[in-house]
Amino acid sequence: MIKSLKYTILSVVVLCLVACEGQFEDIKPAASVEEKVALSSDKNIRSLLVGAYDAFTGGRLFGGYYQLHSELLAGDPVARDIRWRGTFADPGEVFSKSMAITNGDASAAWLNTYNAINVVNTILANLNTVEQANRARVEGEALFMRGVMYYQLVCFFAKQFNSATSQNDIGVPLVLLPASLANFVEEKPARASVAAVYQQILTDLNKAEAQLPESNGFYANKFVVAAFLARVHLQMSNFAQARDAANRVIQSGRYTMLVDYSFCFNNIKNTTEDIFAVQITVQDGTNNMATFFGGRNIGGRGDVQVQAPHLNLYEAGDARRAFFYTDPGTGRIHTGKWRDVVAANINIIRLPEMFLTRAEANFRLGTSVGATPVDDVNRIRTRVNLRPLAGSELTLDRILRERQLELAFEGVRIQDIKRTGGRVGSRLFSDDRLIFPIPDRELKSNPNLTQNSGY
Amino acid sequence: MKRLLLIGILSVFFFSYSFAQERTISGTVTSSDDKSGLPGVNVVAKGTNTGVITDMEGKYKLSVPANVSTLVFSFVGFLTQEVEIGNRTSIEVVLVADTKQLNEVIVVGYGTQKKGDLTGNIASVAGKEIQNIPVTSFEGALQGRAAGVFVEQGNGKLGQAMKMRIRGASSISASNQPLFVIDGIPVTSQSQSATGADTNPLADLNFNDVESFEVLKDASSAAIYGARAANGVVLITTKKGKAGKTKVSINSQAGVSNPTRQREFLSAQQYVDFYTEALRNSDYSQAEIDEFFGFYAVDTDFKTSGINTNWQDEIFKKNAGFTQLDLSMNGGTEKTKFYVSLGSLDQNGIMVGNRFQRQSLRLNLDHAISDKLKVGLNMNFVRSYNRRLAADNEFSSPMQIVALPPITPVRKKTGQLVDETDGLPYYNPLVELENAHFKTNSFRTFANSYLSYEIAKGLTLRGEFGFDLLNQNEDRFWGTVTQAGRGAGSTGVGQSRVVQVFNYTTKAYLNYNKVLADKHSIDFTGGMEFQRSQTDRTESRGQGITVDQLQKLASAPKITFGSSELTGFAFLSYFGRLNYKFANRYLLGVTVRSDGSTRFGEGNRFGTFPSASVGWIVSEEEFMKSLKPTLSFFKIKGSYGLTGNAEIGNFSQLPLYGGVGYAEIGGVRPTQLGNPNLRWERTAQIDVGVEFGLFDDRISGEITYFQKDTRDLLLNIPVAGTSGFATQFRNIGAMKNWGWEFSLNSNILTGQLKWNASLNLTLPKNQITDLGGLPIIDTGGSRYMNVAQVGQPIGAFFGVEYRGVDPKNGDALYDLNDGSGGTTTSFNTAFRNGKILGNPNPTFYGGLTNNLSYKGFDLSIFFQWVSGNQIHNAAGIFMSSSGYYEDNQTVDQLRRWQKEGDITDIPKATYFGGNGFASRTSRHLSDGSYLRLKTLTLGYNLPANIAKKVRMESVRLYVSGQNLLTFTKYTGWDPEVNTDFLATNIFQGVDFYAAPQAKTVTVGLNIGF
Repeated sequence: MIKSLKYTILSVVVLCLVACEGQFEDIKPAASVEEKVALSSDKNIRSLLVGAYDAFTGGRLFGGYYQLHSELLAGDPVARDIRWRGTFADPGEVFSKSMAITNGDASAAWLNTYNAINVVNTILANLNTVEQANRARVEGEALFMRGVMYYQLVCFFAKQFNSATSQNDIGVPLVLLPASLANFVEEKPARASVAAVYQQILTDLNKAEAQLPESNGFYANKFVVAAFLARVHLQMSNFAQARDAANRVIQSGRYTMLVDYSFCFNNIKNTTEDIFAVQITVQDGTNNMATFFGGRNIGGRGDVQVQAPHLNLYEAGDARRAFFYTDPGTGRIHTGKWRDVVAANINIIRLPEMFLTRAEANFRLGTSVGATPVDDVNRIRTRVNLRPLAGSELTLDRILRERQLELAFEGVRIQDIKRTGGRVGSRLFSDDRLIFPIPDRELKSNPNLTQNSGY
Repeated sequence: MKRLLLIGILSVFFFSYSFAQERTISGTVTSSDDKSGLPGVNVVAKGTNTGVITDMEGKYKLSVPANVSTLVFSFVGFLTQEVEIGNRTSIEVVLVADTKQLNEVIVVGYGTQKKGDLTGNIASVAGKEIQNIPVTSFEGALQGRAAGVFVEQGNGKLGQAMKMRIRGASSISASNQPLFVIDGIPVTSQSQSATGADTNPLADLNFNDVESFEVLKDASSAAIYGARAANGVVLITTKKGKAGKTKVSINSQAGVSNPTRQREFLSAQQYVDFYTEALRNSDYSQAEIDEFFGFYAVDTDFKTSGINTNWQDEIFKKNAGFTQLDLSMNGGTEKTKFYVSLGSLDQNGIMVGNRFQRQSLRLNLDHAISDKLKVGLNMNFVRSYNRRLAADNEFSSPMQIVALPPITPVRKKTGQLVDETDGLPYYNPLVELENAHFKTNSFRTFANSYLSYEIAKGLTLRGEFGFDLLNQNEDRFWGTVTQAGRGAGSTGVGQSRVVQVFNYTTKAYLNYNKVLADKHSIDFTGGMEFQRSQTDRTESRGQGITVDQLQKLASAPKITFGSSELTGFAFLSYFGRLNYKFANRYLLGVTVRSDGSTRFGEGNRFGTFPSASVGWIVSEEEFMKSLKPTLSFFKIKGSYGLTGNAEIGNFSQLPLYGGVGYAEIGGVRPTQLGNPNLRWERTAQIDVGVEFGLFDDRISGEITYFQKDTRDLLLNIPVAGTSGFATQFRNIGAMKNWGWEFSLNSNILTGQLKWNASLNLTLPKNQITDLGGLPIIDTGGSRYMNVAQVGQPIGAFFGVEYRGVDPKNGDALYDLNDGSGGTTTSFNTAFRNGKILGNPNPTFYGGLTNNLSYKGFDLSIFFQWVSGNQIHNAAGIFMSSSGYYEDNQTVDQLRRWQKEGDITDIPKATYFGGNGFASRTSRHLSDGSYLRLKTLTLGYNLPANIAKKVRMESVRLYVSGQNLLTFTKYTGWDPEVNTDFLATNIFQGVDFYAAPQAKTVTVGLNIGF
């Protein structure tokens, strides 16, 4: 009797140890929050805005691949003004204009850009949660990023804007509403026309410019948007609007050119001529420009090698020519713009671009809004120890050449070639191979998409 | 000496006890095999706890109470005998070896069963079959040993994750690894590493402690593990103590490892000739060509230096050492039994810098508090240390060294290693090996305890509590000259990552068995189980270390990364099983398990998984008795049931946002699409088979057909990227596995020369039958070909057929596959009509073991093979690419097209020319079949009388070889390959600088006393 009591007690203890229901509830993600929490307050939406900048400046976007792709597409594999020396096959295909429809870079550019667009769309759809005092600014910043990202997408994945044909040229799908994470409904949008995409870009940027304050730290302010508007209008050959937008930036007086060209790059903080730059710190951000353009001697991969056909474009005495450096180990010449792999901001848009845009637009229009074209061009030239040009010497080609050299390896080259009807070696600006293929994975998951010609 | 003392103590005990007794019986127990005395036989007076164990010569002496009339003689591997005592005081007994494997008791989920009574399909491998095989983890040793069980070690790096597939892959996005259960505790088996070089937490188990492995293959045997059994279950049972004299066993072995094969690359002269041609074909001037080679020759002159570096020699160790020492003891009394073991393993990898060490300590204890109440505890403490190598796709991975030109010296004249900073095309992995480290230390505890109480005769309640603690630290350092160190402003970088997994299981169940009216045998098991696992990860990284000897973060002034995470899951389960046997020949089994998991939405947490099985032992029927012993056993059996799979990541059902930062300001971003409807993936499996025994069970075997239909696949399905996401987990799609399994065991010779052989064959098929409307899931990009396509096996290679070279101009040609039979030089054009080119899954695999023994000698020969699969050399675009990059090329590239009219399969060499550069073509696909002499062991047992002279019970010397011979058409390193960083359910059979397997030869000594 006593014995069986003992055993009963033991059995009960064992069963108590075993029966532990109700322990499901406390098993929750600790490093993530659910959507309903993430979107629940003003503070959280503003955190999401920081998240949007993180996405916008990610490695596949302005963290470097956007710019790398522009430069590689603009490089001439025959004349070899630059060479792709890397072993990553995907950028290699971009450079050799032989992209497979499975190219991983095209796919990553597409996915990562739409991923970032979804972040800003989520902000835009939840503005009601943002306090009145912050709302206009938050909306402006989100619209700014969306406009710029659609500009990047349409430049890479569609034909150059042409007012005569863009209504019929296919652009990229325009997605303006966010995906609901909790109740996801998969949309399969078709590609909007190039004109419609540009229309959306302008709508977003115009509204952003109107709503943003003049000062906003290293985030987007009114003039950052104006600077990008200048870029977009120039791409569309809307010279007057491009000129005026550039002029607004210049005349704001917020930005001044540095005296020494060599101080403009590899800085941990924005300089006075940086209108917008990707912030890179030791902890945060990816500087893929330094990764690919930087020599191995400074910790880069040394993949983009600059060769004589490019270097010969500089006039004697040009300080920008002296800015290139040779990796003594590999003998490769690299641009000095991206030589800090640890923590240096990536310049996205600098004041000199505004002078060059204003100069080009004024020149084309025969106007002198803000300044004469030759004065604007000479500002750029004299800083790099070149003699000022006389007004009579100025031609459109000279302005464009100045632009090419001033902004070399900053990620705008292919856009300039395309808008000016230029060439990459033997390929005309309109060559199919200067446009990315719509990623194969995307065509397979969305039957409403059509592939670009040539792929 | 100690032994004598022990015998002395036992004798005193024995004599003191004997005063109270009535009779003393003595005698000798011999073996029917060779008439020699059998030591260690249990001799028990029936119905009492009184018993002894026979001595070295098989002699025993036992005092028996007056009321006992029968002695029971039992010994593992022999038929138990009961002998009437009568008036005798001396009883000689001859024990007959038990060749009837069908009488074996095997472990099933939550219990044991007689093999002959099984209606499910369980492959059983005894621990002793794979004892001392010189591999780090038991899965490698199980390879080829059982039908329906496919094991692949993706490469020759030590302690890395292995692929184990039981009856094929049943899922696309959830895990296809089986559930591993050690002594009743489901253990952590997924890699806990942050790198692409996945580790294998199962390598923490010293498998010399294992008594048996049982692989539950069909639905009825696995369904007791219900929700998690769709990929099969591997039950691992460790050794237990046996009552009687304490037995000590020592095993020590030492050996050397070398790579199974090497790949052949161009010599220095061939390299210069080849690339001169490739550069000329790409319009490079002679000056540029000289500059090209000049840089790669570093500080030597490529024309005169005579340097011809074989880089493989620099990374493969010659005769990498292996040592292992195991000490185990077991013994105890009828009341308290123990098994204690100590194990130490030190294995050097075939590659420089790779090493695995393991120290293991185990105590298994069973104690009977009374006849009815029993307790037990198994505890295993392990420390494993792995000096690891980078994942295959990293430039620092040693195997990538083969890309370096043979004209490059290993070291500069200054003595420093050459590196990419000297102009080499790539980072030199030797720089990493000499100036960086990657150490993983793992501390592991497997523990479980039980208390069982026999409430009434045949009715037992059992409670268990156990846990698996995994504590792992990955410690990394990169010195100032390494690639990572250079990238950190030429300072050292340190990293520490700690993972703690606390995984515990509790359960309680009842077992009831009874035989009614001598005909109805009932065995019921039912209960509940709860498992919870929690993983904590902490990681930090810092840079700025200026002194290379200071390798810890304490010396890193800049902490550049820090993170901590917490995740977990729980399962709550109820299960029941009823086995019914009528008249010893009609068998019925029914199981049900209901499981709830935190991995699914609240409304879909629970799933119920039933199964049923039947068996008919035809040979027990009266009308079959006349066929005995020719047809000594014949059973027909079948089962059908549902099992599930929940092995996706934690919280896949939730719509999630994660923390990020921009410019050191905190923010959030959406990270995952949720799916509140996510539920169990279900597999319905049917299994039909026969088991037979011929010639009094001298030959026994099993033939089985199985079919597994998986529905509601947990599929991470690609979605339109314009949504902002690439994939979402949904229950979509279906997949099918079916095939035949054969196994045959025979005792061919049983006299002085003994020979037994066992053969197992598997013919598996796999097909994806539905992807929710999608025709194909292709995430391979430009480099990898594996896809999931409806109508094809999982991971089939999708690409373009390579049609060789245009004899006119040396261009690579691809098949248009548009019905025209035509070709194109454009990969994109051809890819539009891409097709399935091959299958990474074998269609036939198996193993053949032959064990021979003669007098003191024993010989074991084990062959294993895999066939019907292909391998994609995804590194072909670098190493066999007609000179696209600067990489040294495989020798087949010498066959390149050179002039008009050349008929060859290697296109014209062009530097960065892109001729035939595409990876997704049959150019880089080859047959992956192989036949391997997996294990060969020759042993010699010292005769008992000589062993006795040195006071040993047994002494065995052996020499053993692993992977000694490999027969294959594959021209790469080794046909057993799957590159680590890429390996998933879909990505299989890809070779990307994966290390070959190790060929190991060891000599060993076993001592028992």
